[in-house]
Amino acid sequence: MSHGQRVSHCCRPGTPLWLLAAALFFTGCEPPGRPNQADRPLRPDQVMSFDRLYGTRCAGCHGAEGNLGAAPPLNDPLFRAAVGEEELAEIIRSGRPGTLMPRFGGEPPVLTDAQIKLLVFEIKGVPYRVRSQFDEITGPSDFSVEVAADGQPPQWGTVSKRPDDMPSLTPSSAESGDAKRGLQVFAQACAKCHGERGEGGKDDGPGAINNQAFLALISDQALRRLIITGRPDLGMPDYAGKTGRPDDFKPLTAADVADLVALLASWRETGANAQP
Amino acid sequence: MFAWLRTAARWLDHRIGISTDIVPVMKHPVPRQLEGPMGWWYVFGSASLTLFLVQILTGILLALVYVPSADEAYETLLYMNYVQPLGWYIRALHYYAGSGMMVMVLVHMTQVFLQGAYKYPRELTWVVGVFLLLCTLGMFFTGQILRWDPDAYWGLAVGGSMVGRVPGAGPELVSIMLGGPIIGADTLSRFFALHVFIIPGLLILLLSLHLWLVVKQGVSEPPVPGQQVDPQTYDAHYEGELRRGVPFWGEALLRDAFFSAVVVIAVALFAAYMGPKGPDLPPDPTLQGANPRPEWPFLWLFALLSLSPPPAETFIILVLPVILILGLLLVPFVSNRGERAPSRRPVAVLSVIVIYTTLGVLTYEGITSPWSPHMTAWSGDPVPVSMVKQSTPLQLQGAVVFQSKNCRNCHALDGVGGRRGPDLSTVGTRLTRDQLIDQVSNGTPGGGYMPAYGKQVNPAEMTALVDFLVSLRPPGHPPAYNPAEQPSPRSVEPGTDGEATANRP
Repeated sequence: MSHGQRVSHCCRPGTPLWLLAAALFFTGCEPPGRPNQADRPLRPDQVMSFDRLYGTRCAGCHGAEGNLGAAPPLNDPLFRAAVGEEELAEIIRSGRPGTLMPRFGGEPPVLTDAQIKLLVFEIKGVPYRVRSQFDEITGPSDFSVEVAADGQPPQWGTVSKRPDDMPSLTPSSAESGDAKRGLQVFAQACAKCHGERGEGGKDDGPGAINNQAFLALISDQALRRLIITGRPDLGMPDYAGKTGRPDDFKPLTAADVADLVALLASWRETGANAQP
Repeated sequence: MFAWLRTAARWLDHRIGISTDIVPVMKHPVPRQLEGPMGWWYVFGSASLTLFLVQILTGILLALVYVPSADEAYETLLYMNYVQPLGWYIRALHYYAGSGMMVMVLVHMTQVFLQGAYKYPRELTWVVGVFLLLCTLGMFFTGQILRWDPDAYWGLAVGGSMVGRVPGAGPELVSIMLGGPIIGADTLSRFFALHVFIIPGLLILLLSLHLWLVVKQGVSEPPVPGQQVDPQTYDAHYEGELRRGVPFWGEALLRDAFFSAVVVIAVALFAAYMGPKGPDLPPDPTLQGANPRPEWPFLWLFALLSLSPPPAETFIILVLPVILILGLLLVPFVSNRGERAPSRRPVAVLSVIVIYTTLGVLTYEGITSPWSPHMTAWSGDPVPVSMVKQSTPLQLQGAVVFQSKNCRNCHALDGVGGRRGPDLSTVGTRLTRDQLIDQVSNGTPGGGYMPAYGKQVNPAEMTALVDFLVSLRPPGHPPAYNPAEQPSPRSVEPGTDGEATANRP
């Protein structure tokens, strides 16, 4: 019978055996479906890759590559050179008071101490090594992160030396800024782009910095940091940059920075149009 | 030696009746057309059965290792995945053979429906088949629970709250289902018993009945357009078919075996390529990264529930399934006579198309689930660089407010971020400053999707946020304006109706 012949043609023993051989080949060797320890699902506290930690916790505000984000850049040579490791860890742990930077430590912790340490080493450009216990079933645990010259090289490269004339990011207790002097520094260092009293200047300029809402959302410490490091990713010069500044501009000193911060703080208190 | 064996065989045959009772059943005649090309439509039922046998086999192997305790279940799964040789493969086989069984059951059912094989005298076979479908779905749901991960935990949470809506008996039913008022140590034991004893037991019983009915009523002959089923004459007609028929033990069985073998090999290869499903993270309800989803046969229901307004939920949970199941059960009673050929049954064909399109679209929605907030968008998806570059210092702060108040989890910027709310990349052309303040403070009017953020955003944050949002416009586009309040930037004919006097002064 003709149909019967067609069936037996389909069922000739070669076809299924060939497929079975393929199946055995893949189960006998390294089949792609075999779970790989490297791809195992990790609890948030087991994640120890900078890409994943930075990409899920920091990139939203600080930018995909650590710059050109809404918040100040972390991948900034001066910031990376000047910020202290413990200071950085404390900022990540507790946030920056008076700004929108949230805490990532505390209770319940968003990031573990080891994860914070890893972020600090990456931002500071310190090669490091992650040590952990590994269990085939439960995966990695008991992480520690330590400095190691031959360890993981930091993704954003190493950090250049902090320039000698660079004012410290943390104000010394002796300094107290003078808003009146700050206005003079402002005229020289800032007014060209931000306007005489921070009102914003030209249309294509960077915009106003004297409005109460802006100043309410930024702390003196964060202002100080931005004055010193600038925002090179957005064209704002650092403490020594010449862009938009007079030819005889001298790098800002620690006192200049303190005066500028005091000026902006006074605007925050009283509005920019009151006399400092 | 052979004489002795022959004697033993004869003794057994006499007691059991292999040659008198079983061999005739295997050799029972089936319609001759089953040896023709139409016969290939008849292979899906036996493929479902074969995959069920694979499930029994792999299920037994899994049960040798799996510990159904809330403390240890998760780790035994990881043990199978990473330590036990081929443990992962048994898990993968069990998952894909189960999925394949679900598919085969659906295809088998669709074929029976389209070819009118459920009509007289096979109504009861269909009814039992519907219960077999429900058992298969039950196996899928309980099996997902045994994969003790966030999908399991939240699947239980959703299942529990569905059952809790039953009027009157809700709390009691939840307690029976979960072994207490909440998901606890007893819950997993209950689902283990359901998955390993109760539902499979039921399934085997129903399956025996199903197969008995198939043998008793005979395999339906392939439909011929114009040939009507009439309960008065069908039996005589079918007997005629069988007199001209061929034994099942032959081409028909060979085809079943061939197709089953292809399906099993496909499942085996698929399992080797795809690997076991999960387990994902441990079933810890406090883990924020969890993104639980039901198994694929339930995605359509997940999407339907997510997309329906809250007042419709109880109907969808309690009434709709009853209607659907009753509808399936009633199919052979509503139409147990008449045409069987799909070409003469446009309503049947159209129903299949509509049902599968609906299920397909809802499943697609369930997979993409654009209504779910994208929980890490705020801290993970950067503000688009073009927006950062055009922002003033205040707008930059606004962008940080936008991220840190989790707006991004529901609202995308340049297509990246949550999809629950509208993409806000050009919101500045749609809403004015005042409208934005109102929307953020009070949320969607009338208790809509967007919550009110008035209490979570201080005045400075609001100013910065709204300034940022107003700035989100394509180059050259004017900001939105409110015709009730200010003149239009475009020229408009002098207003005739009272309020909209939006004309250039």
